[in-house]
Amino acid sequence: MSTPTKTGPTRTKPADAPHGVVAPIIGQARQVSFWAEQAAPIGLVGLVIVFSILSPTFLTLGNIRAMLVAAAILIVLSVAQSFVITTGGIDLSISATMTVGAVGFGLAWQAGLGFVLSGLVAVASALVIGLINGLLIARGKVTDFIATLGTLSVATGLALIFSDGKPITVNSSELLTLTSGSIGIFGYPIILAVIIGALAWFVMFRTRFGLHVQAAGGSEESAVANGVNAPRVRIAVYLISAGLAGVAALLLVARVGAAEPAINTAFLLNCIAAVVLGGVSLTGGKARIVGPIIGALLLTALTNGLTLLGVSQFYQPLAVGLVVVLAALLTRFQKK
Amino acid sequence: MFSTDATWQRTLRVAVPLGALALLLAGCSNGASSDATGAGGAKVAAVIKGLDNPFFQAMEDGINDAADTDGVDVSIQAAADVGDTSGQADKLSALAGQDFGCFIINPISGTNLVQALSQVSTAGKAIVNIDSPIDPDAAQTANIDIATYIGTDNEAAGGKAGDFIASQVPAGSKVAIIGGIAGDVTSAARVDGFRAAAGDLTVVQETAADWKREVALTAATDIIAANPDITAFFAANDDMGLGIVKAVENAQRTGEIVVVSVDGNKDALESVAAGGLTATVAQYPYAIGELGLQACEVVAAGQTLPDQIESPTALVTTDVAADAIAKFPQPFEAFENPLTALLTK
Repeated sequence: MSTPTKTGPTRTKPADAPHGVVAPIIGQARQVSFWAEQAAPIGLVGLVIVFSILSPTFLTLGNIRAMLVAAAILIVLSVAQSFVITTGGIDLSISATMTVGAVGFGLAWQAGLGFVLSGLVAVASALVIGLINGLLIARGKVTDFIATLGTLSVATGLALIFSDGKPITVNSSELLTLTSGSIGIFGYPIILAVIIGALAWFVMFRTRFGLHVQAAGGSEESAVANGVNAPRVRIAVYLISAGLAGVAALLLVARVGAAEPAINTAFLLNCIAAVVLGGVSLTGGKARIVGPIIGALLLTALTNGLTLLGVSQFYQPLAVGLVVVLAALLTRFQKK
Repeated sequence: MFSTDATWQRTLRVAVPLGALALLLAGCSNGASSDATGAGGAKVAAVIKGLDNPFFQAMEDGINDAADTDGVDVSIQAAADVGDTSGQADKLSALAGQDFGCFIINPISGTNLVQALSQVSTAGKAIVNIDSPIDPDAAQTANIDIATYIGTDNEAAGGKAGDFIASQVPAGSKVAIIGGIAGDVTSAARVDGFRAAAGDLTVVQETAADWKREVALTAATDIIAANPDITAFFAANDDMGLGIVKAVENAQRTGEIVVVSVDGNKDALESVAAGGLTATVAQYPYAIGELGLQACEVVAAGQTLPDQIESPTALVTTDVAADAIAKFPQPFEAFENPLTALLTK
């Protein structure tokens, strides 16, 4: 049996072609898809360079620590949103779910349940919203956008009802330790966020469930044909999203020293922005965990740098918006 | 995908050299020393509430103008909006690591800046709390030392509004209260002050309109429809007061229903002059900002500040509205600045 021979023109390597380490970088950098794929890490490094030149404070250990602590909540929410978006869904109720978790923590703390039990109440409260989302979408066949828009309102109302519209001040030494304690420059919030990110990465890329999440987002028909229980996967991702929102609630209460019933929509918008920056396709099927984490760091670094430079509050949302729109444009060039 | 080794290698090939370059540049830039004192003797940072509200814009103007007059180096940052508690904390955390000698703080809630302030206090930097007080228990837990609190007696401001409405309508008349965000300390104090002063009046409804004009407009429209014999509204801020004025206009009840609010923003003063709002209790955020900056100067000069400084308030009705507009943003009534003596020492 003869071996097939390759036909077509053979390429000769030019004598002056770059080689070694530089060649792959230059070769890839010529392709728009490379910039699209690596938008978040390249953008983050670019920001670090610019801000470190413009502000002597930006890369001081104190500021790096402050930035990482500030990014922790957004990282957790971005990881949560990544699971949902990978299935082709979206969780618009995530910040309201976090608020419900925060109020749950506050009420449990007020009732004298202590730090650990109050934390569990926070996660459990959030999981209720996640379960409602999952059932509405997977079993009730309600569009994710409409379902989570509805639960956003429901969760907002519940938070106000249970707290009587009043912030619950939490003076806790454990929470103070959680928010101000650190190992070197790494505050406990960012350590917790990174652990969550690592676990999420493992679940998404090293388990059968993760494979099912990606399959459900790619083509539900094909996924079902291959034995994936798509409705169950959808319920699971909304539960994961809500559970992580509950963990974020704990970090939020620690950060602001109170369980506040008013929702902060900035977290919702920014976590979706971080996911987009991280290269996750909003149409689903394409999973990323590290990307959204870097996206969250990029958005935090951007706000921090602009603050250090004394840029007016009016211009800061504009800058964030431009970065997100640019990232969204770049996703057109990603390799499918 | 980030999960594949090839992508990781591609990412690292780009990120590592660029990261090394960033650190190299940072090493160069960190050599630049920054002078901790401006011409006035103190480098000041201010973190205030959202600049989407004219009250806090006037406060910012007060800080800036006082800094320009006295030659003080000041950096002002604000929250994205009145609910952005964590965002405001992030801004303070970013500024806390810089070489500011004094921090002017206007927190969204009693606790949201406590964690960042503990860092400021530990570094031995002065903290001047303006407008909204920091929760004293939370401050004690975090070992935060507040140099002084500068702000309006919100209960007294609400009381002035209550006294005025009580003088304008018959005893037992139906009135409604529109507060800010449910549970907000400032709103609660103003409402409590109003209730205490308006004891003879019947409060038919109290609702929260999140400090927003359009929310207050909707709420007031509904209240007027449900209570056609309503005689007056009290709003915890001017923006909501102007929303109520619009609802009264829409119901063709202008002149019949008394509307009084708190703040003394320019558009509210103009509304009073035009016969829209009946009155506003002017708070002078400009003066609060100015006093905050001056307090930092007093600290820089090594003087001791009083624990609390009450900023002025005044009831602005149609007869004094023109004068108030002419003097805006300064107080139109004379007030004794307790820091003047300390600044001239």
